Amino acid sequence: MEVGLNLLRRILDKRNPNLKALKTKVYDVVIVGAGISGALVAAQLKRKGKSVLILEAGLDEGLKPSSYQDYLEHFYTQEVKVPNSPYPNNPNAPQSNVLDIQKIEPGTPDVSGYYVQYGPLPFSSTNTRAVGGTTLHWLGICLRMLPNDFRMRSKYGYGVDWPLKYKDLKSYYEQAELEIGVSADVEDLRYPGTNSSFFGKGYRFPMHKIPPSYLDQVLTRRLKGMIYYDQQDEVKIDVVSIPQGRNSIPNKHYIDPRTNKPYQPVSAVGHPHMGERCEGNSSCIPICPVQAKYNALKTLDKAVNGKGKGRVEVRTQCVVSRLEIDSDNGKIKGVIYQHYPGSNKERTAVGKCYVLAASAIENAKLMLASGAAKTSGQLGCNLMDHPYLLTWALMPDPVGPFRGPFSTSGIPSFRDGPFRKRHSAFRTDIGNWGWNFPTGAPFSDVQLMVDQHNLFGKELRNQLYNSVQKQFRFGFLIEQIPQTSNRVTIDPNHVDAMGNYRPVIYYNLSEYELAGFATAKSFSDQVFQRLGAAQFTSYAPSDPGFVQYEGMGYSFHGSGHIVGTHRMGNHAHDSVVSKTQKCWDHQNLYLVGCGSMPTIGTSNPTLTMAALALQASESITNDLR
Amino acid sequence: MKKVESPKDPQITTLESLYKHLQLAIEVEHFTIPPYLCALYSIKDDGRNRVAAELIQSVVMEEMLHMTLASNILLAVGGRPDLHHSNFIPTYPEHMPHSDKKFTVSLEKFSKSAIKTFMKIEKPETSKAKPEAHNYHTIAQFYDAVLEGLEYLCRTLGPDKVFTGKKHHQITNKYYYGGGGRVIPVIDLKSAMHAVEEIKEQGEGHIAGKSIYDGDHKYGQPREVAHYYRFNEILEGQSYAPGDKPKKKPSGETFKVHWNSVYRMRKNPKAGDYDPGSPIREKMDEFNRSYTKLLALLDHSFSGHPSVLLQAVQLMYSLKYKAVALMKIPSGKGNTTVGPSFEFLPEST
Repeated sequence: MEVGLNLLRRILDKRNPNLKALKTKVYDVVIVGAGISGALVAAQLKRKGKSVLILEAGLDEGLKPSSYQDYLEHFYTQEVKVPNSPYPNNPNAPQSNVLDIQKIEPGTPDVSGYYVQYGPLPFSSTNTRAVGGTTLHWLGICLRMLPNDFRMRSKYGYGVDWPLKYKDLKSYYEQAELEIGVSADVEDLRYPGTNSSFFGKGYRFPMHKIPPSYLDQVLTRRLKGMIYYDQQDEVKIDVVSIPQGRNSIPNKHYIDPRTNKPYQPVSAVGHPHMGERCEGNSSCIPICPVQAKYNALKTLDKAVNGKGKGRVEVRTQCVVSRLEIDSDNGKIKGVIYQHYPGSNKERTAVGKCYVLAASAIENAKLMLASGAAKTSGQLGCNLMDHPYLLTWALMPDPVGPFRGPFSTSGIPSFRDGPFRKRHSAFRTDIGNWGWNFPTGAPFSDVQLMVDQHNLFGKELRNQLYNSVQKQFRFGFLIEQIPQTSNRVTIDPNHVDAMGNYRPVIYYNLSEYELAGFATAKSFSDQVFQRLGAAQFTSYAPSDPGFVQYEGMGYSFHGSGHIVGTHRMGNHAHDSVVSKTQKCWDHQNLYLVGCGSMPTIGTSNPTLTMAALALQASESITNDLR
Repeated sequence: MKKVESPKDPQITTLESLYKHLQLAIEVEHFTIPPYLCALYSIKDDGRNRVAAELIQSVVMEEMLHMTLASNILLAVGGRPDLHHSNFIPTYPEHMPHSDKKFTVSLEKFSKSAIKTFMKIEKPETSKAKPEAHNYHTIAQFYDAVLEGLEYLCRTLGPDKVFTGKKHHQITNKYYYGGGGRVIPVIDLKSAMHAVEEIKEQGEGHIAGKSIYDGDHKYGQPREVAHYYRFNEILEGQSYAPGDKPKKKPSGETFKVHWNSVYRMRKNPKAGDYDPGSPIREKMDEFNRSYTKLLALLDHSFSGHPSVLLQAVQLMYSLKYKAVALMKIPSGKGNTTVGPSFEFLPEST
């Protein structure tokens, strides 16, 4: 309790004496948001000798090692360990929380959380408004999109085509895998619809793969040779290691082009030797105690303190409310923000170029609040997530869950294929943490056995061992296709404590995704049968994410992926930004982040977002010449 | 009080003598680890001594690095480190091995007197001190003698007859990580010198006595103050600021040290203080067996099987929990608690 108060005290006590100086200085680039996109752009610009100001709405926390420790201690005191549990909600820069998600009554918006949700289904993903952004609590999975993900419309007749192809992004993916620090071995990676040219010739990841869990090994053996029949299409089932932004044994053949020496894992910010390897703390979401998992603080640290002729300043507790736009030429003249605590006085930050990197919903919200990017009508639209379907079972033998990262291997077999003409593609996570996500295990097991079954002592220990040790679950990330009706908008009736708009969200799933649910569930059923595992999956109509399809009910969660609200395209009439994320309507403005992605595919979007941010940095640098 | 046998040669002139000295180096580096760990684990986990705990932890990590570096040198010159024998763990209270015996070191809780003892251990050599192979005032002098010995043997025997160890036996940063710095594989006189310099500078400071920094930035690491000065920061409750000089007090940020926020561990506990079969004795023995197992794993890693280090790392975590559990149990003697005794106890007993 005391620790949480310490954090809140800092909201109230902080003073920033240098604010006056910001008013007249003209930076090369002003960036809104100190998450991974903002950090990557800032770090690149610093290397090119530019002056950068990052405005961050969150608390002055995170960059100092002691404040990261505060997050940990806050986390320990929270009863429910949801993704945002270490990162206290801040009325000046409120953020969503999964605990706020509820069923939505038709006609009445759910206003209990930060989002104003009109539904019909609740948008169930959250982000973090803090220095380091959502990478503080992300899982760390770093998968590239597949080539067909970029041409959904022409290949399968759903969604849209990107203005880019996979091969256009390939070198940026490699750069992103270096900047984040991804652990994987190319020879272990196999994806449907790809061949040996998917990775560059002789390409290696900076670090070797995180060792597969015991559970992964059991599944690899038992699912060998399995084929699933999706109508007439054969899907060969494969268990494959997942590349992740998590420190592991460095690959001695990977020469870091930045130092010309073998790659060295990046340790925790401020702690030179902590976090050089994953320790198996098993709390990746919501916080890695040792920072073996990548978080954007590492890139920010480089941007602020590292090499480069430029200069990067981070100003925290500065909430941007809107952009000032020149009505003659559409250029951005300044970013209006308010600092807290203190008066609500509006201040302006001025740059030659501007970057919004505040995450997809916040970017759209800011643009709408500024009356910007009106040409296409797509601003705020095409909001996507990966609806996450859980299935769970008890294996016949113990499989050693609750050790190591959330997921070390997965089944990529449904990421691409002819079935995409009928239903969503999906990716399968093999979960290492037992039934933690679906039921709150192992705590819920203890509670059930003690309160309901009257167990104690040796009997309790035996029962717990026999149930908990056999727990196993799948998570299915279902591709959602873009719909203009899934959107973020603003409403003057819904503002926060500082008078800034709260996002108003309309969200639903289409038959394409629901058909994907059905296939995923059917596949899962077959796997459980093959393994001799006892199925315990159950979906209740009272679940906020409950949907029905062809007589069956399913419940979905959010994956924490917020995508699509300012998509890129080839033309100003149907997209908000170009393929370098430059805004069509405002020539000195870039909207960087997952919001630029026209489709979501089946990969966790951060790696793609990072690749795009690196590409945008080149374009910004060119603009500044 | 058990003595650690010291070679009697005034200077190192043979490979045999070099092996004995390097083995002793490993034992000297290990000597400080149980006392530092007792101080560290006696600090209660209530967040009130976070800075002091992190400082001690960082020193422990670097001592482990020194042990590893000393092993690498010994392996490189064709010797075999021996970490799993009954004399490896000192019987505290004990004088620093091979020293002028001016003070003893105990297993005790975090306190001002413990920190002052640690500072005596890490005291920087003054630039006029001559290296002495027999009775040393400081650990650094001991290492200077080792370096002189290496140079002498390379001159007289030729480097090929000195550096005969297998390169793939060296511990590298493939399996060694997070332990206080970059581990240096030793393959020749130059790398052996780097390894010795790293040990000396981390302990006493770069240009001992003239700078508070440990010279690690030469190896691509952030600037940290040397061990002696880290302990002084704890004593003063204040960090050194850039530009501070060795003879002056630190002038950086202050931090609170709550000397009373500790488990009141008995000084120099022994498993034999408790009856065989009693619950406390069982826990003491369990800790000692685990610690001895850790030494066995390190011994195996340092004798040509570097990948075994991964198992050793796992064991280190479980040892911490066992140690803290012992720190919490009342000993029955005054208001003290049991604490770990760090005694050699192989599995079969």
